[in-house]
Parts: sequence; structure tokens; C-alpha cells
Amino acid sequence: MEGVSEDNNAIYVELAAENLSRALKTAQNARALKVKLTNKHFPCLTVSIELVSVSSSSRMVTHDIPVKVIPRKLWRNLQEPTVPDSDVSIYLPVLKTMKSVVEKMKNISNQLIIEANLNGDLNLKIESELVCVTTHFKDLGNPPSTSENESEDRSPEQMAEVQVDIRKFLQFLAGQQVNPTRGVCKIVSHKMVHFDLLHEDVSLQYFIPALS
Amino acid sequence: MKTEVHKRPRYGGPPRLFPAVTRSYFRGWSEVEGREEISKLLKARATSGNLGRRVAALLRLSLLGRTAMLKCGMSGSQVKVFGKAIQALSRISDELWLDPSEKGLALRSVNSCRSAYGCVLFSPVFFQHYQWSASVDMNNGTKSNLNCKLGIKSILPIFRCLNSLERNVEMCKIFTRSDKCKVVIQLFCRHGIKKTHNVCFQESQPLQVIFEKDTCSNTLMIQPRVLAEAIVLFTSSQEEVTLAVTPLEVCIKSSTEESMDLNSSVYSEMFVGPHEFEFFQIGVDTEITFCCKELKGMLIFSEATHAPITMHFDFPGKPMALSIDHMLLEANFVLATLADEPSRASSPQSLCLSQKRKRSDLPCSNSKVGKKDSKAMESISRKVAPRKLYADEILSNISALENSGSPIMKRVNSDTEEEPGSPSLRKCKAKKNLMEVMPKSYFCISDIEHLPPLSKKPGFGVE
Repeated sequence: MEGVSEDNNAIYVELAAENLSRALKTAQNARALKVKLTNKHFPCLTVSIELVSVSSSSRMVTHDIPVKVIPRKLWRNLQEPTVPDSDVSIYLPVLKTMKSVVEKMKNISNQLIIEANLNGDLNLKIESELVCVTTHFKDLGNPPSTSENESEDRSPEQMAEVQVDIRKFLQFLAGQQVNPTRGVCKIVSHKMVHFDLLHEDVSLQYFIPALS
Repeated sequence: MKTEVHKRPRYGGPPRLFPAVTRSYFRGWSEVEGREEISKLLKARATSGNLGRRVAALLRLSLLGRTAMLKCGMSGSQVKVFGKAIQALSRISDELWLDPSEKGLALRSVNSCRSAYGCVLFSPVFFQHYQWSASVDMNNGTKSNLNCKLGIKSILPIFRCLNSLERNVEMCKIFTRSDKCKVVIQLFCRHGIKKTHNVCFQESQPLQVIFEKDTCSNTLMIQPRVLAEAIVLFTSSQEEVTLAVTPLEVCIKSSTEESMDLNSSVYSEMFVGPHEFEFFQIGVDTEITFCCKELKGMLIFSEATHAPITMHFDFPGKPMALSIDHMLLEANFVLATLADEPSRASSPQSLCLSQKRKRSDLPCSNSKVGKKDSKAMESISRKVAPRKLYADEILSNISALENSGSPIMKRVNSDTEEEPGSPSLRKCKAKKNLMEVMPKSYFCISDIEHLPPLSKKPGFGVE
């Protein structure tokens, strides 16, 4: 890949995520996949897929997804934001379990409280007029702390909590098709929750701000 | 004819019925000589006793000869295939004709802009039992079939959840008569549950398309799975699909007609090699463009029947046929394809005309068409002038339309105004009307009864 210039060795393109996801859906059983930036009357992301067919010969599928190339002067707006240091970081349990729990909780309330401590406990709480439901996950383990906040001022039992919109959390969980090797949840008390999923070669970060 | 009448029949009654009735009954539904005698007798005797009842029953039966009738039954697994056929036809249009004949029960559907036609013919062997009769007009002896048109919206919900229907339904019976105005569909399910649906129908002569599959130079037979994988590539917003064939390969791609203007849609293409087809015969290199929606409907149905789909097509503009040939049933979908038109770009007016023209519904050249009551034909009645056109050669219609000038323009434009954004307009706009481009000898839509005499051997759907 060659970017815009030697100093700015990157290309920023904007596209409709749905187009790309639909194109990639056909690549479930692909033998090979190639992605190219091309210019066919307008800039396109060309995805060439080599499918394995029944008679073990390959079938070529090509998708040209229209994209918009973002000029360099707008790159500043798309930089990764600076994130405050987290109060507690904890490893996530199996995402499937969390998803089934949160899906049922969604029917009761719109607001979910996520709290965790440095002892490996993670709680998901919802409250309504009639009922209060909490799911406790124990012995999850905490990654080695990198920030000073965490280790010095906190007792292991003290919970850091954040209140988020349950639908956004569910969106995050629903999007996970593959189980990550490792998932870390970092909570900035009452401000934000940050999920960091690590697959073999890929890392996915997801930030959910707290409800005010 | 004189017959003996017993005032008081013995217990058990005489084993034989009135000779007149017996003789005529065995002669056939429609010929009951003694009928008048019987009705006189009945009036005279009211319906006293065994004899009277039996005669009354026979009289009713004989009256059935006057009405067309359909009665068939199928098991759970057959209901699934039947339901899939209805679902496939629902993608073509909102109306469905139920057309029984000695060849079997045919379900037919034509879309409003006449660019797609579907017919699924279930042979009598498909059903557990199958009975039908045509009605005979006593005065002139002409036979007429059951002319039954159903709304898809009323019949589709009956065949919803086909998987559970297949498990639960033990028997499904369909019964209708042309003198009653409804079709009775009964589902006998497990645990003694019986569901009865009465669906009203409209009297309407079915339309039929005669398409000579054997004269097409290109024929491809393929397992539905491969086509289904290809169709997945295309989003539902892209209605049209282009099939480009050469003797070396087949390419299914999204139509480039519209995507050139809007650069927000994905262009996809898929190449399939000849070895993936069960039958591959390409006589002429061609690229045809047709609507994806009906193909999807056909795919759904073919997966249920586990039979491969055969595509017959020729050059752009000539309709293509998708067919499934199975022991117990035969399905045919005829779709219009987009034609290459060199005259399109010639002038704005002709462009406008040609585009609108593609959308216009034009009746067949059969002059009897006008008489038939058919809701599907309502849209045609607005455009009366083109019918004159078809008395002449269909292929020369381009110049003829341009010459006929404003009346057609006005009429067509008023149609456009009426439905500015309707999906059928958008779909039909780019489609060659099935009727239009083909010379009569290739292809013709007609009412079943009044077929123009074709010298060729029958294609499909010709009795």
C-alpha cells in the first residue's frame, strides 16, 4: 500500500458499512480475497473473492463498492481521541453469556450499570420500579495495571461503576461473531467504559460514554 | 319416456333407480335426458322417502354438470411444495389464477405491467386425489373451465410457516365450484384440528403465455444452489441482474444501466464456469438483463422441489424462460428482458416514448380480449389506441408509436402522473413488455380458450 505521500503514508476513505458487509458475506467460504482501491468512473473499493465451488474449481466474484476519498485536511477530525485513564480494568467473561443476560435485561430497563473491581468481580445491574436485577461474574482476573490510578488509590474490593445505555452495549455484544482471544473492559468511573477485544491479529476497541 | 313410480317404496327401496336417470347419468355429467322428468317427479312427490332423496341427490349431481368444479387433496409434504409455489408466484403479482384441466391444476400469475408471468402446473399424480370438471353450456355445448382468480393476500397466509404445516397437516383439501363464489381450503391437522378457509374468488379468464422454449438458442441448466449464491450478491435495491454468456463462461452481474448515474450502489459480478452447469448450450453470445425479484421467487420454489432450474433465452429483448421440469409438476416463469435500443438516444421525445412504452400494458392481438372481464386488464382499457398497433406487425411498433403522436403520449403520461413513485413503475420502466418486441410467432399472451392457432409444436402451457 502506498499512502498519499511519504510523510502521510495513509489513505482515508469513507464508505457505507452495509455495502462492505454485504460484499464480504459472500466471502464466507472464500479461498482468497483481495481488496483494492480502484477508480472505475468513481473511486471504488474492489473486493475480489475467489470462491471454492462444488466441483472444486474456483469461481471469481468481484464487488465494486463506491467510496469517498477523504482529503488530507480533514484527517485531523478522524484521529483517535485521547482517553482518560481507567479506574479499573478487568477481563471479560464469555461474550455469549453476557449477551444472553443483557438481552433479557433490555426488556426491563434502558439503563445498565456496569461495575467492576480489582478482585475479578464484574456486575451488571438494572433497576426498575418493581425489580432490581444483578448478574455477578466472579474470578475473571484483572490485567496488570498500567496506570497509577488503579493500583495506588484503590482497595481491591472497591467497585468502579458506570451507567450506560443498554442498547448500545447490546449492539456491541451483538456484533461479535467470533470469540476474541482476550477481551478487556476498562471503566472510567461515571464517565465511560472502554472495551478492548483482541483477536489473533486484530484488535477492536469500543467506547461507550456514560449516561448523564 | 314412461317410468313407473311407486307410491310407497319397500324398505330398502328398489336397488335400481329410474331408468331414465340411470342411463343419462352414465352418459356423462352434462347430459341428463331425464332431467326434466325428474324435476317434474320431484315436484309432484316432494322429496318423500328414500327414492325421492336419491333422485334429488342425482339431480344435484346432474346440475353439477353445468358448473365447473375442482376437488383435490394432498398430504403434508405436498402442501409444502404447493405453498412454495404460491410464495414464488406471489413475487410476480398480487393475483393468482386457479386453473384446473385434465393435465392437472395450474396456478398462473401475471404481473401488472406484463413483464413477468409464472405458471406452476401440478399433474394429477401429484395429488392424493384430483377431480375436476369443466362446465358445459347446455345451449351450444361449449366448454368453459373454472375461471377462478384469487388474491394472493388472501391465500398466502393460509400457507404460511410451511415447515410446521408439513409436520402438522395430514391432509389438505381444496374444493371449489364455479357457481359458488369461494374456494374452500381445508387443512386436517394432527390432534383432530381442522382448519377451514373460505377464500372468495373473482370470475376471470386466466391469461397464459406461450413461449417456445425449444427455439431458444441458449439453454442452461443449473442447480438452484449455485444461482442462490449468485443472487445473494445483489442487494434488494438493485432490481436488475445481467446475465452475460459466452461459450467459455457465464457472468452474472448487476445491471450497469442505473448504477452509472448513482454512484452509491455496489457493482458485483460473478463468473461461473461451464462445468458447474448440468446442461450448457450457448448458441449465441449474449447479455440479457432481467428482474431479480422473480428469479428469487423461482429459486425458493426450486429448492423445495430439489430440481434444477433451466434457463432458456436468446437475444436481449426476447423474453427468457426459467423452468423446472419434474415428474409431478412443471413450473415456468417467463420474464421480459431489457432490449438494446439504438433508437433510444435519438431524440428526447422518442426517449420519453420508448421508456414509457416499455411500461405500457398492451393487450394481445386477439380481438376477443376486450370482452373478457379481467381485473388485470383494467389497466389496459385505459390505453385503447395501442391495440390497433398490434393488428399490424409488432416489431415495427417503434415508428408506429412515434407517428401516432400525442394521443398515446398523453395517455401514457397521465399514467405516469398517477403513479409517480410506485415500485411497479420503476420496475416496468426499464423492462421490455413481454408483448411488445416479439413477433407473434415466437410468443404470445392469450386467454386460454381463444388461442390463436399456432402451427408450431406446443411450447409450454398450450393445451
